Amino acid sequence: MDKTPPSPTVIEARDLKTHFQARSSLIGALAGRQPRAIRALDGVDLAIRRNEIYGLVGESGSGKSTLGMSLVRMYEPTGGEVHYNGENITHVHGKALKDYRRAAQIIFQDPYSSLNPRLTIGQIIEEPLKIHRIGDAAERQRRVEKALELVRIPAEENLHRYPSDLSGGQRQRVAIARALVLEPQFIVADEPVSMLDVSIQASVLEILDDLSRDLGLAVLYISHDIATVGYICSHVAVMYLGQIVEEGTAEDILTAPQHPYTQRLMAAIPSIVPDENRERVELKGDVPSPLDIPPGCRFSSRCPYATELCTTVEPQLVPTAEAHRVRCHLYDAEAVATHPSLEPPTSQAA
Amino acid sequence: MGALAKLNERLRAKPAAHMLVERLSIAYQTPRGPFRAVDDVSFEVAAGATLGLVGESGCGKSTVVKSLMGLLPEGTSVSGRALLNGTDILGLSERALSDVRWTKIALITQSAMNSLDPVYCIGDQITESILAHERVSKAVAWARAEQMFEIVGLPGSRLTEFPHQFSGGMRQRAVIAMALSLNAGLLLADEPTTALDPIMQDQIMSRIRSIHADMRRSMILVTHDIAVVAETCETIAVMYAGEVVEAGPTAQVLQNPRHPYTMGLQNAFPKLPVRGQSRMPLISIPGTVPNLLHPPVGCRFAGRCPFATDLCRSEAPAKLSNSISQSAACHYQDRASEFRAIAQKASTWRHKDG
Repeated sequence: MDKTPPSPTVIEARDLKTHFQARSSLIGALAGRQPRAIRALDGVDLAIRRNEIYGLVGESGSGKSTLGMSLVRMYEPTGGEVHYNGENITHVHGKALKDYRRAAQIIFQDPYSSLNPRLTIGQIIEEPLKIHRIGDAAERQRRVEKALELVRIPAEENLHRYPSDLSGGQRQRVAIARALVLEPQFIVADEPVSMLDVSIQASVLEILDDLSRDLGLAVLYISHDIATVGYICSHVAVMYLGQIVEEGTAEDILTAPQHPYTQRLMAAIPSIVPDENRERVELKGDVPSPLDIPPGCRFSSRCPYATELCTTVEPQLVPTAEAHRVRCHLYDAEAVATHPSLEPPTSQAA
Repeated sequence: MGALAKLNERLRAKPAAHMLVERLSIAYQTPRGPFRAVDDVSFEVAAGATLGLVGESGCGKSTVVKSLMGLLPEGTSVSGRALLNGTDILGLSERALSDVRWTKIALITQSAMNSLDPVYCIGDQITESILAHERVSKAVAWARAEQMFEIVGLPGSRLTEFPHQFSGGMRQRAVIAMALSLNAGLLLADEPTTALDPIMQDQIMSRIRSIHADMRRSMILVTHDIAVVAETCETIAVMYAGEVVEAGPTAQVLQNPRHPYTMGLQNAFPKLPVRGQSRMPLISIPGTVPNLLHPPVGCRFAGRCPFATDLCRSEAPAKLSNSISQSAACHYQDRASEFRAIAQKASTWRHKDG
């Protein structure tokens, strides 16, 4: 790793919470019961710098997409703060929100449903410029062409084609171009390659990588495919039930995971060269519902190492090494000292 | 329990199936002409063996599965043979098919949500298929269903529950239990874990592997994930644009691919890093799959292949027969080791991006 001074933080979440209200039943409502809260995102701290692609992994329902949508303010967080270039934008509205949305863009998973089939590629990419009233027709045209160039789609041949004429990979690149045309500083890429065939995934990942470097973008790359994260991300956070359970450099997380959940997640990835020794603990049950979060550590109901402490006291994210934090009592020196029954799992790097 | 023991014994006595598919071609009828989804495909699954049928979306792998289960839409033209223990099962009547489905070939589908009926409890759905084919009492069928639940790691008491009460992973297990209930000689698993989270995927695949090891049924695993095949199947057949382009023992094919498409797939497949080791960048395969309404004259991969010559563009390589040793449908098989070395460089694949 090079020792250049760190680039400035673009986006920062501080103890961010986004809770939704579960629809209450009619009887419940008549009885005056409070609707229950779905704690989709429950206290997340995270900072992404310029030129950085930050990976966010976790299973469905872990809150990764809620975090992405809260950061670009498609959801208004119910607690905590979001700072953009040092400015608190958690609850901005009106013009300030519109300005922020110009600077923070999102790319969705499904390029088959995120592009309007009745518009041409040129119109699709121009639309955000019209919404934000940027430039005249000629200026907009110039920006559209530049955006297409960034995603390596020849403008001349494609401006007047429709999404149905394009392959999945090309569509996803058009979706990226549409996000880029407003010259954002922060992009959330929510599972941008999971609908694409393996043979073309790399082309989209490569573009994201180049863009963050060349345009100085801060990118939040959300994926359930942990293997792809290693190719483009410098830092990775692992989410479970609305919280970050482990965070560190991509290399640390992918080669020496510490949290029992992360370890299991890594062991679940099949390899082209089968490793007979790949250790796989069968986890009990499924991810609990965010309506019904277990007390203590949220992973304790499935964790093979859980002790009484884990089912009663909630662990904090504690640093275990430089730039590596884990939310697990097993790595908390204080907890281990007072609870001898805690036996740390052997690290996979060892 | 006497009746259950007898049923179990009868089912256990079923031999694993031998499946031989020869020159299978399937064309869907569309308003714009025939769509040649599968073209001259041959493969063989020995009794008790596993075959991984891999390829990307639109390569025809699911169409092959549908033809074996007799699920193709009416009017689809099918040629070739699919011999199950020596009997051709292509083009059977619905009546004859009911003797094949579930008793001889069982299907584990991709979306467990859609293959379970929401208004019946899971136990009823499993016993229904047992009762349709075996003369036993409902109580015996239920007891058999309980045993199947145990095999897939679900408590038998939950048979009385409905699909919506199950999580995605549990539903997928229920579908597997159903597929196992008549101990069919051949299991067809069509993307059995695609819609699931990674940990659940892994747990279900381990389960399928241990079931295969215990019961020694023959199995065709259809998937887009070459790593899952690497860990599960003895042999592999790689499909591209309706054809099998490479086949053979899995480890051999994946370690020393002979078809440029297999080489490209491997380069594009994301791998976990190994600490302290530098690793190859991901390389995508440029271009797109040809339109099978008008398949190209020559090799179907020629338009994306970095090694393609005029020969490739004008003449299709010989189709693969169902040989057991590694083979590839490529004019330049003899230069495979030379190609493999060049294929590992990103620049090789960059010549035609688009």
